Amino acid sequence: MNQQSPIGPPRGFRDILPTEARELGVIEQTLAETFADSGFTPLHPPLLEYGAADSAKRRRMQFLDSDGSLVALRPDLTTSVARLVGGRYQDMTGVLRLSYVAPVFREEPAMSGGSREILQAGVELDAEILALLVESLERCGLPVCESTVQVGNIRLVAGLFAGLTDAARFEVIEAVRQGEIAGALSRAREAGMPLDELERAGRALTGVAGGIDGAEAAELCRVIELARERWAGRLERWGVPNPALVPALPYYTGIVFEAIHPDAGVIASGGRYDLLIGAFGTPRPAIGFAIDVLQLHRALFADAWRPRSQRPLLLLRASADERATMRCAAALRAGGMAVALGDVAERAGRAVIEAEVIDERRVKLADGRVAEARALGAEIDS
Amino acid sequence: MRPLRFALAQGLLLNEALAALRAIGVDVSGVTPGGRRLVVDGGDIELVLARPSDIATYVERGAADLAIVGKDVLLESGARVMELVDLGFGACRFVVAAPPGAMERSLDEYRHLGTLEVATKYPNVAERHFRARDIAVEIVKVAGSAEVAPLVGLADWIVDLVATGNTLRANGLAVVEEIASSTARLVANPAAYHLRRREIAPVVERLAAWAAAR
Repeated sequence: MNQQSPIGPPRGFRDILPTEARELGVIEQTLAETFADSGFTPLHPPLLEYGAADSAKRRRMQFLDSDGSLVALRPDLTTSVARLVGGRYQDMTGVLRLSYVAPVFREEPAMSGGSREILQAGVELDAEILALLVESLERCGLPVCESTVQVGNIRLVAGLFAGLTDAARFEVIEAVRQGEIAGALSRAREAGMPLDELERAGRALTGVAGGIDGAEAAELCRVIELARERWAGRLERWGVPNPALVPALPYYTGIVFEAIHPDAGVIASGGRYDLLIGAFGTPRPAIGFAIDVLQLHRALFADAWRPRSQRPLLLLRASADERATMRCAAALRAGGMAVALGDVAERAGRAVIEAEVIDERRVKLADGRVAEARALGAEIDS
Repeated sequence: MRPLRFALAQGLLLNEALAALRAIGVDVSGVTPGGRRLVVDGGDIELVLARPSDIATYVERGAADLAIVGKDVLLESGARVMELVDLGFGACRFVVAAPPGAMERSLDEYRHLGTLEVATKYPNVAERHFRARDIAVEIVKVAGSAEVAPLVGLADWIVDLVATGNTLRANGLAVVEEIASSTARLVANPAAYHLRRREIAPVVERLAAWAAAR
């Protein structure tokens, strides 16, 4: 019998190899810059939060710590941020703009970058966050076309079933959240919903997008229009209203949106969650989104994206004079070059050039040209 | 963009699923039940034949955009798909069954050992059901006929899918409890459903009208 211990990572985890790690690094840095450019401050919630007994349902990875408390690898960052804000910013009124780029852990791990705006309600602010999502995706290199961004509203779905009792409506909306639209409609019929209303709800949930009416549908269109004004995008008309959009996470209370890619599926989701923070302290309205960085990377990869070009890595062949070699490498680095002495076996998709040390200040390139070490970086850029 | 890909479960549902698609104007002439061609061009729609239990995986992972599959398969796989229309055909039920005289003995055993053995081809459905009822069970997964398990002493009870109940009766079993009923469903991959709404909505609408008219 083979007694070797397994050499792979634990089930559900995988190694991220250098090429992908480098590309993820570029995406994460772009996201962090985009959030910072809009005035968002980064924060780092802890890796662990207190666990819950219903772990099977929520797909958490949890265990007992040495005190016997049940702790969980954070399954989601929105709840962590809500806990932090509800506890620490009780007395601070006004807008908090918080962001993070950090992994979350479900049964399958997922990386998540997100931004959270904690502020007063209003369509303009909904539009600002929606525009920031599209800006973030486009700055990472993802072309956002009309149907990439779908915008819905939980209140609109609730409104379709306004005639039902609270208990029946809750069951119906839970069914829609699970994707069981047929089940939701038959539950509504059992609860005594009139046929014409049932037909209207069916049309809104399964018909061609845009087949909705009323004040809240008009509000959806208005949010999209306002958001387009804030970030025009590469294609002028991005975003479609979608009354059937009900994200899997249960805490949203108003506008919700998702970015969807044909190959990667849902790469970002967000919305308004006005009640969540109240569960941890003083209630305050909030809106935000989370981008699944691994899914975004998959979408970019499917679109044949490559990270924006960096300067090539310089592989420097040493001369006999070790001191001159070290000084030459220092001069190259001072001029903005990344330098490795000798060879690098794992290049992770980076371009490389080779050069040989002549003396402290000069190198000989592979084509025989002699270059000033300190000026080589600028020379390559031009 | 590739044409809409529609997966169909080979087996009991296939003939009625083909009839439903034919009724809404999809060209299914290229599909021969039991044939060897598994990917068939149907005009605007590409048809793919697969095992019922694989259909949910195809749709969840986006390899197929739409499918007709039994609710029983969806319940057991737990796949995250959109269930759009209850097509009404292929009715069956998940049930807990046991030999009629064994109830007293089973309950006595449960009091003594604190657990019952349940044989099933559907471990996820069975586990979820007994957990919800707060009954401790040991699931014995079988690949073939679960109904012989109580006869040969493999398990006290079984969880199985029944259409008429004839097989249960033939093996001396009676229904203890019904877990869930199942019919064929039109399902969609969630991303495809939102992204390709314009193409999918007419299919949903016509199949819903077809199902309502039956």
